[in-house]
Amino acid sequence: MLLEIRDVHVHYGKIAALKGITVEVEEGEIVTLIGANGAGKTTTLKTISGLRPLSSGRILFNGQDISRMPGHKRVLAGIGQAPEGRGIFPGMTVTENLHMGAYARKGDVSKDLAEVFELFPRLAERKNQAGGTMSGGEQQMLAIGRALMSRPKVLLLDEPSMGLAPMLIQQIFTIIEEINRRGTTVLVVEQNAQQALQLAHRAYVLETGRVLKSAPASELLDDPEVRAAYLGGGAGAAGGSGGSGDSGDSGGKAAAVASAPGEAAVVDEPVQKTAPDDRD
Amino acid sequence: MFGNFIDQFWPSTIDGLSLGAIYALVALGYTMVYGVLRLINFAHSEIFMIGTFAALATLNAIGLSAPVGGLALIGLVLMLAVVAGLVSGASAVALEFVAYRPLRRRGASRLAALISAIGASLFLQQLFARVLIPWWFDLPKEKGALPIPKHFTETVDLLSIGDFIIRNDKLFVILGAIVMMIALDQFVNRTQLGRGIRATAQDPETAVLMGVNIDRVVSATFMIGGVMAGVAAALYLMRFGETNYFVGFLLGIKAFTAAVLGGIGNLRGALVGGLTLGLIEMYGSVIFGSAWQDVVAFSVLVLVLMFRPTGILGESLQQARA
Ligand SMILES: Nc1ncnc2c1ncn2[C@@H]1O[C@H](COP(=O)(O)OP(=O)(O)OP(=O)(O)O)[C@@H](O)[C@H]1O
Ligand SMILES: [Mg+2]
Repeated sequence: MLLEIRDVHVHYGKIAALKGITVEVEEGEIVTLIGANGAGKTTTLKTISGLRPLSSGRILFNGQDISRMPGHKRVLAGIGQAPEGRGIFPGMTVTENLHMGAYARKGDVSKDLAEVFELFPRLAERKNQAGGTMSGGEQQMLAIGRALMSRPKVLLLDEPSMGLAPMLIQQIFTIIEEINRRGTTVLVVEQNAQQALQLAHRAYVLETGRVLKSAPASELLDDPEVRAAYLGGGAGAAGGSGGSGDSGDSGGKAAAVASAPGEAAVVDEPVQKTAPDDRD
Repeated sequence: MFGNFIDQFWPSTIDGLSLGAIYALVALGYTMVYGVLRLINFAHSEIFMIGTFAALATLNAIGLSAPVGGLALIGLVLMLAVVAGLVSGASAVALEFVAYRPLRRRGASRLAALISAIGASLFLQQLFARVLIPWWFDLPKEKGALPIPKHFTETVDLLSIGDFIIRNDKLFVILGAIVMMIALDQFVNRTQLGRGIRATAQDPETAVLMGVNIDRVVSATFMIGGVMAGVAAALYLMRFGETNYFVGFLLGIKAFTAAVLGGIGNLRGALVGGLTLGLIEMYGSVIFGSAWQDVVAFSVLVLVLMFRPTGILGESLQQARA
């Protein structure tokens, strides 16, 4: 097992954001975490990268307990992340941003730089442009390319499709698949459940800080409850195209209640609600 | 009034630049710490004060019998700058360790850090006023403490074309500041730690995801700011030949003003703001009389901020943070 999150609890002050999450990622897999706004997806990735402390539970990486390892050391250990909102350094050029990805590494980075430019030719055309002036799609490519510069064993991606046009989403997902084919394990957080489930080998459904289900991604694609709550309800639903807020409308809730029994998936916690909690 | 200004234009320009160069060096410390931690390090003025005493101690240890000039003065100032820079740099790192880091660890609010900064500032002033200076200069405690070292600089006019006269000590101050600014610019843009500082200033969370050790970046930032203040202190001592336990107070406020004027968080802004403020003060004191020097300076600050709230060059290190 490459990455193991065991019964992890995380709090923001007194508010519990993660209430005992267990997620496992095997070497070579693409695993996706899906769930509505506020489910705790970003918090999970931040905790893996060491940006949030655990209240309890453990994180194992390559069999080693990294729960207390400072965040900057986890990058060297092999955990790379393209964060939510992309986190591009606005005052640095594309090349400088990519070099930041290799900050912790020693030795020559020209080979990695060439590989990133090969994966994202668009970045090669814009080497000297300030990161802050890139378009949303270009910034997403930059964020992924930058995370690759650290040669991660596992690449964490937080909503890579956010705010992108459908064609670009398709393109980014194809590149994620290619990155995985070249040997990098991927844990990707998505609201765009349809496409994430088509991409991933396995999936976890998060709801208000708990794992609601975990199963092979193809099974969840056919799971009535998941269809209703995250795939827009209808039979032949195409995944959301805008990338944000394609979950939990009232029609979806009604459908989910109707189809509650007969689950094929592993249920981690007793199911309290069958539709995601729509906050804000 | 303005006739004065015309007559005094060149002398006050040189004075303004050499005063502004000192402001600029001290302003760097404010601006770098603000850029990385969004904290106004109120105790930075005391880091400067400590630098003047480190330079003074070195001077006393050397025990000059007469003022020096020429190459000997350059060598002496270099030595004072190195000692004061190291002492101030180390003090700044220690200050961060004691007064700010524990708060940062516990996720305390910025306001708490600000109060801690003010406390540290008062503590250091009083430590020098009541303990160190009386002990060092053998002064009775109740007399307060204002040790004035004897002037050690033999001033020479290096160049004089009509009104345009450059005196050696003023030139050294300006050159010293320029050298330090270039060194800093190279450091921040070319070294790994420098890139870490820039990344942390722009987005600290993402910087961690790149493998940047924030604690090291913060220590380095305080170190650099402290070294700059220490060099400024050595130059100040050469130029003005005096110090006391509150020497940093007004100068610190001025340097902070310079940082805001240039655009806080912006390294080049510190230079531009410092030189601008120095010139404004000197021109202002020629036109309105030296009693009005500070009034003019702060009026200009208010005016600039009314029309350009982010300062002359803007807050470039912290732009566009989500
Ligand atoms: N900095 C914070 N302070 C307090 N609460 C927070 C903070 N960040 C997140 N939370 C809370 O933690 C919970 C989980 O948030 P998280 O960002 O992990 O959700 P998410 O699944 O990534 O949502 P989204 O799809 O909207 O990005 C939410 O209830 C959120 O309000
Ligand atoms: Mg999120």
